Parts: sequence; structure tokens; C-alpha cells
Amino acid sequence: MTDLLLSRVKADDLSRLGTDDYVVNMGPQHPATHGVLRLVVKLDGETVKQTTPVLGYLHRSIEKICENRTYPQCITYTDRVDYVSAMSVNLAFALAAERLMGIEAPARAQWLRMIFVELQRLASHLLWMGAFGGDLGALTPFLYGLRERERILDLFEMTCGQRLTYNYIRIGGVMIDILPEFVPRCRSFLDYFEPKVDEYEDLLTYNPIFLERTKGVGVLTAEEGINCGVSGPSLRGSGVPCDVRKQQPYLFYDQVKFNEPLEQGGDCWSRYKVRMNEMRESVSIIRQCLDKLEPGPFEAKMPPILKAPPASEFYSRIESSRGEMGIYLVGDGTPKPWKAKFRCASFNNLYVLDALTRGWKVADIMAVLGSFDMIVPEVDR
Amino acid sequence: MVSLAANIIGFVTDILHALYAMVGLSFWAAQLDIVVVVVVMFGFTSVFVMFLVWMERKVSARMQSRLGPNRVGPFGLLQTMADAIKLTIKEDVQPVHRDKIPYFIAPIVAFVATFMGLVVIPFDKGMVVQDLNIGILYVIAITSFTVIAILTAGWSSNNKFALLGGFRSSAQIISYEVPLVLSLVPIIMTTGTLSLNGIVLYQQQHGTWFIIPQIVAFFIFITSATAEANRAPFDIPEAESELIGGFHTEYSGVKFAMFFLGEYVAIIVSSAVAATLFLGGWLPLPFLAFLHLPGFVWFMLKLLFIIFIVMSFRWTFPRLRVDQLMDFGWKVLIPIAILNILATGFILLLMAKGA
Amino acid sequence: MTNDEIKSRIETDFQGEVLSVVISAQKEVIVIAKQDSYITLCQGFKDRQGYDHLSSLTAVDYPKENKITIVCHFWSYKNLSQITVKLDTPRDNPRVPTLENIWKSANWFEREVYDLYGVIFEGHSDLRRIMMPDDYLKHPLRKDFTDDGFIVKPS
Repeated sequence: MTDLLLSRVKADDLSRLGTDDYVVNMGPQHPATHGVLRLVVKLDGETVKQTTPVLGYLHRSIEKICENRTYPQCITYTDRVDYVSAMSVNLAFALAAERLMGIEAPARAQWLRMIFVELQRLASHLLWMGAFGGDLGALTPFLYGLRERERILDLFEMTCGQRLTYNYIRIGGVMIDILPEFVPRCRSFLDYFEPKVDEYEDLLTYNPIFLERTKGVGVLTAEEGINCGVSGPSLRGSGVPCDVRKQQPYLFYDQVKFNEPLEQGGDCWSRYKVRMNEMRESVSIIRQCLDKLEPGPFEAKMPPILKAPPASEFYSRIESSRGEMGIYLVGDGTPKPWKAKFRCASFNNLYVLDALTRGWKVADIMAVLGSFDMIVPEVDR
Repeated sequence: MVSLAANIIGFVTDILHALYAMVGLSFWAAQLDIVVVVVVMFGFTSVFVMFLVWMERKVSARMQSRLGPNRVGPFGLLQTMADAIKLTIKEDVQPVHRDKIPYFIAPIVAFVATFMGLVVIPFDKGMVVQDLNIGILYVIAITSFTVIAILTAGWSSNNKFALLGGFRSSAQIISYEVPLVLSLVPIIMTTGTLSLNGIVLYQQQHGTWFIIPQIVAFFIFITSATAEANRAPFDIPEAESELIGGFHTEYSGVKFAMFFLGEYVAIIVSSAVAATLFLGGWLPLPFLAFLHLPGFVWFMLKLLFIIFIVMSFRWTFPRLRVDQLMDFGWKVLIPIAILNILATGFILLLMAKGA
Repeated sequence: MTNDEIKSRIETDFQGEVLSVVISAQKEVIVIAKQDSYITLCQGFKDRQGYDHLSSLTAVDYPKENKITIVCHFWSYKNLSQITVKLDTPRDNPRVPTLENIWKSANWFEREVYDLYGVIFEGHSDLRRIMMPDDYLKHPLRKDFTDDGFIVKPS
């Protein structure tokens, strides 16, 4: 460093006395990068010139582990791929494995799966709302969001005993049937929760400071979003209808009525608004599912050892809270998968961070990162 | 009617002078009086800051549907005492490649500068450490010392984040000094005096507090004061979610406690100035004057009211980005403050012409 | 569009460029591609048939047949259909052209496949490891991966 300075002074050329790139390392331990994500940010004063995410700090080789476990054993690992939205990943794996083996889950199990995945979507969006507000400096929505999330986690705990990594949605159905008091408690929770979304919108959505921080920041055009593989609410904020539940319906999503919230702005505010509207849609879906729930078996009759046919493969896509979650399973006639690939939404959503933050300020990196609802264990697996 | 405060002060002064006479130091009575007053002021402010920290934690907790501290002492009142003890017995972790003398001096300057602002605040009629006739000028000048402290802290920590925080903070404080001063100019124009005691007496004479004719100046002052103390929504320099701690990242233990307490004392000073200038200081509320509460109590009530407003900003609004912060200060607050000065001058001229 | 329609459309559009098109038992359309026409095939899928979304790009290791298969899944937002494109490459020297210029999402997908399988993507702008440390020596997801002697001890 000293000789660099000296050589510049000796050269006596004013143009060579230019500014150097100010490289700032955010993380892996950082309050705002939502986990162990490292961002190497090249700054020019306060303006960002380049953001390079460095991944791998949370790489637990889940895909390799799944190659050495039987199909039901893999479900436990899928919880850890995205622990904020664990039911969705469970479901994706269960759907892929069922398709490989030709098992069909009974109707009650499908409705129960839908209820729990939508409740999980609510819980995930509430946590996201808190984290997003916290990144921007509004510290109060975090506590309000967690307060509602506690009630959802109580519902989950009542059913499967777990609050974070559920292992509930299994191949062929669900783990256990719901208790009789689940349905009235769920309905009362939904009645309590529906006006709360409006309350949280009051706090943030049209707040002038919030608008200044998020309107026009991190604009993602539709073509760039599709090309970069962005999916889910992040792409719906740019006006692209991309809901897997509508385009490739799984479970009974073609039998429930719900809208796909779209916003045209493409900026952080649009993505925020899409997720707030999605919370309302999820409430409506859960209500319809509770109405259509009928008694029946909660899991299909399956052979004791689940084997996939040789040379079989399937790629199942579902709409998780973050976007498109895809699981590609290759079966080889043994009880263990030959290959399990987890296509996670946050991996692609993180890729566009660099392009979106060039020329903006350091504080905008936080806003954009928060608006994409990125979870690091999904990125690294 | 002689106020209760004047009675107490007179009583205590007599005891002290008797004590000096016993020890044989009557010659230095005036100077010893000032030492005693400063010590009392220091003690009172320290206890008040502890109370304020507890109040912030309780207020923020209730706003976030939590309980706040409720274990240490009744209603958690001794929580700050526990935190202060914890901070003093903490290990003083210092970066190896720091700049030793500035690193040591920065928290001291931050702490002392804000404390010195309390010298001119009148807590009651005659209950002021030193009623300087340049009161407002003194307060604003002294509280600007914190800029030096923050810049020194950021530079001497030998840490990119701290430096960035120091730069941001100094830019912010310097920008918001201007609307702060400009918002006080109409009051000075109206009263014709810089002394805080004189302004309270003016409000007493004319029966109205300055918040009514100068409501715009009140809002500008409160906003600028929040920005001066680096509090949310202007807390970019200490934004935890971006720069971990900003300029005080590398400080721990007592040094960190000094920055922390300095921030609270800055809040007290700004709120006290606001209470004195806009809300009538130790004057009672006109329709509650029959309660005959001492002026000191009225002053504390007004002070707590303004501090409550400033505190609730922090837990309601998101944070402004640095360039938006500067935009807001330079392009919004300063023009409004200047327009306020012009309007006040115009009205004063009209009133003078009319009289 | 049904699977048969998709299959016949691919067979007419890309006659010489694919090795075969099958419909799997799990009702997916799988296209087996050739190395030399891989890029034009994928470009044609994007431009002419509207598969604008590269959903996933991964690799499967078959040590017994001595090949690594690159598996891409495309999704079309316009036609709401999904196809799978597979490309085989020899296991001892796996080199595959890059799809980065067609879909930007392929950038990180291919880096991950390089990192975990050792497949070199020709023409990739930034082919370095993404999950494992930069000085890692082996490719973990290969079937013959063993954890001995791979850590570079700091000297």
C-alpha cells in the first residue's frame, strides 16, 4: 500500500492521483444480510459500482446427502433447505417422489397440504415484512409480524409438534391428521388476521420515508427478470404473471378461486405491495380449503419400502413463498434417489442484485436485498 | 410571591456559606458555590439520563406490544443502573492499529460537550447554573462540538465502516445546524434577547407561548434536533443494519457508554431548549395555574413531553437514506425556515408601525 | 399443449439437431441433444418456440456409462409448457458449450455445475467455483468423490 502511494506521488501526474476503489465487505456476519451471505461491494464514495455475492458459507451439501438417504429420510433434509418456508419444500419433494413412484395422495391429504402450505406462506411473508422494515430502519413492524407468526406457529405445533422444521408433508400424504380443534382455531385466526394486514399497510405502505426508500429503487424490467430466472413475487412486481399455482396447478389449486397480485412498477415498492396482497389471497385460499375439507384418509397406501422405477426422473415445480421451487429427482430402482436437485428461488433472485444496485447507494443494497425476500440456506443448500 | 425554588436555593446557599465559614474558605465562597452547582447538575443529569434510558425502553416496548424491562427493580427502573455497571466492568477491547490519543479523547469530547449545554437552561425562576446573556448562541455552539468527536472517533478507529459512519454523521450534523439556528431566529427577533431566561420572561409577560405564533419553527426545530442527536429517522451514522455501529463500532465498555450517554444528554439539551423557547419553560399551563405547582415541575413535565415525541419518532419511521437526508435538510427545511423568518419580520414591522 | 403436440412440434422444427425426443413414463417431454447443435437448438427453443425461462440447469453423473448428463428444464410463460433437454458428455473430459448468452440465469447454474461436477462450460465469462472455496481441489457431487487428501493445508 505504501509503495503504491509512493509510486503515485513520484509519477507527479495529477490524473494518476485519482481515487481508488473502496471495497467494503459486508458479512458473512452482518445484521442485515439475512444469514451468512457475504457481499463484496465496490464503492465510489457512497455509490455502488459493483456488488459481488460470495456464496457457500451455508453450503451443507444437502443434494449429496439426499443421494445417500431413502426417499422418506430425505424429507427431513428438505426442511432445512428453506427453514422459513419448510412446508413448501417438503411439498415439492413429496410431489416429485410421488410422481416418480406413481403414488397419489388422497383428497383430504391434498386439502390439508394446501392449508398448511398457505399458512406457511403467511408466516414467511410476515417474517419477511419484519425483516424488510428492519433493514430500512422501521423497527416496529418486525414485532407485529412476529406476533402474528406466533399464532401460525401455534397452529403448526398443534398439528405436528414442530415450530420451524416440520417434516409434516410426507410422500403419499401428510404425517398425521389434524386435531378437531384445528379448524375453529384456524378460522378464528384468519378472522383476527385479515384486518391486521391493512394495519401493517397503514404503517409502511404510504409512509413518505418508506416511499422515498423504495419507490424507483432497484427497478427490474420484465424481460430481464425472466431472462435471469427471477420468479415468484419478485417477478410479479414487474408485471409478469408467473404463479406456478395458476400455470401448472398442483394439489387442488385449480379448484380454489384466487387472484394473482401483479404490480407494474418493478421497484422495491411493487415487490412489497405484491407480497402484502399475497397475504390477503392466502387468507382467502385457506378459508376455501377449510370449507372444502372432508373426512377421509390422510395418507395413501404405500409399499413399506418406497422404490422408484429404474431410469425414472421428474422435475416438479411449486410456488413457494419466495418463488419457484423446483425439485428434480432421478430414480434408479433403489430406495435412494440417484440425484436430487433443489432449484431454489433465492439463488436466481440473488443473481440480479448486482445489476440492480449499480449506481445506487449502499443503503439501497439493503432495500433491494430485502425486497427480494432472500434466504441464504436456499441459496447455498 | 417568592417561588418554592428560590426558597430552596436560598436555604441551601445559606447552609453552604455557613459550612465554608466553618472550614475557613469564605473567601472562595462564590467559586465553591459554582463547583457545588456543577456537581449537583452533573448528578441530576446522570440520574435523569438513567431514567430516560428506562423510559425509552418502556415506551418502545409498549409501542411494539412488548413489556420492556420489568425485572430489575420495581417496574424495571434499576435496569439502566445494571446496564451501566455492566458497561463499566466490560473489557475495553481496542483495535491494535488505532490512533491512540484521538481514540481516547473522542468519547470524552462527545460527553463533555453535550453536558456543557445544560449550563444555561433555566429549570425554574432563578434556578440556572449561569444565565449567560448569549444563552442560545452558547448552546448551539457547544453542541456542535460533537461533530469533532464523531469525526475523530471514526478516523481513529482504523475501520472502514467507522470512517464511513463518521463522514455521514458529520455531514448530517453540519447540514442540520443551519435549519436549527434559522428556526430560532424568529424568536430572537421577537424577544430581542439571546438569554433563555429572558425569553421565558417574555413569554410570561405576553401570556402566550411561542409555540402558537411559531409553530412552523417548532416543527423545524424538533426535526433538526433529532437529526443533530443522530436519532432515527436520521440515524444513518449508527444504522445497525448497514454499518453495524457506525462511528462507535470499535468502542466498548465505558467509552461506548460515554457516546451513548452523550446522545441522551443531547436529546435532553435540545428538548430543554425547545421546552424553554416554545413551551414557556417553567411557566405553568395557563388554565392549570391554580394548582400552584413549582415551576420546576412544569419544566420537567414539558421536557418529558417533548422527549416522548422525539422518542416515538424512532420506533415509527424507517430510516432516511443519506442523500435523501441531505436533500430534506437543505432543500426543504432551510427554505421553510427562511420563509418563516421573512414572515415573522414582516409581521413585526407591521406591529411596530401600528403601535 | 399436450405432450404429443409438443413432441411433434419439436421433431418438425429441429429435425437434424436432436438425437431423439421421448415422452417419459412420468409424462415429461425429454429432448436428447447433440453437442454440436446444442447452442442452436437452445436458441431455437427460446426464440421460435417461446421457452423464455430457464428453470434449472444441472448435471447427473453416470459413472457406469462413463458420462455426465447436463439436464436443462425450460418453461414457457407463453405456452405454459415445460420441456427437458439433455446433453451427454464424456466423464473424463466433460466440455459443454455455455448457455449464458441465451439465458443469463445459466451463469450461476453453470458455475455450480462446474464447481460440483467439474464440467467445463466453453465460452463462460466467469467460470469459477461458487459454493466451495476457490482453492478446493475435487468436485463433490461426483459419484466417486471421497474425502481424503483434498484440503489444501495452509503453508
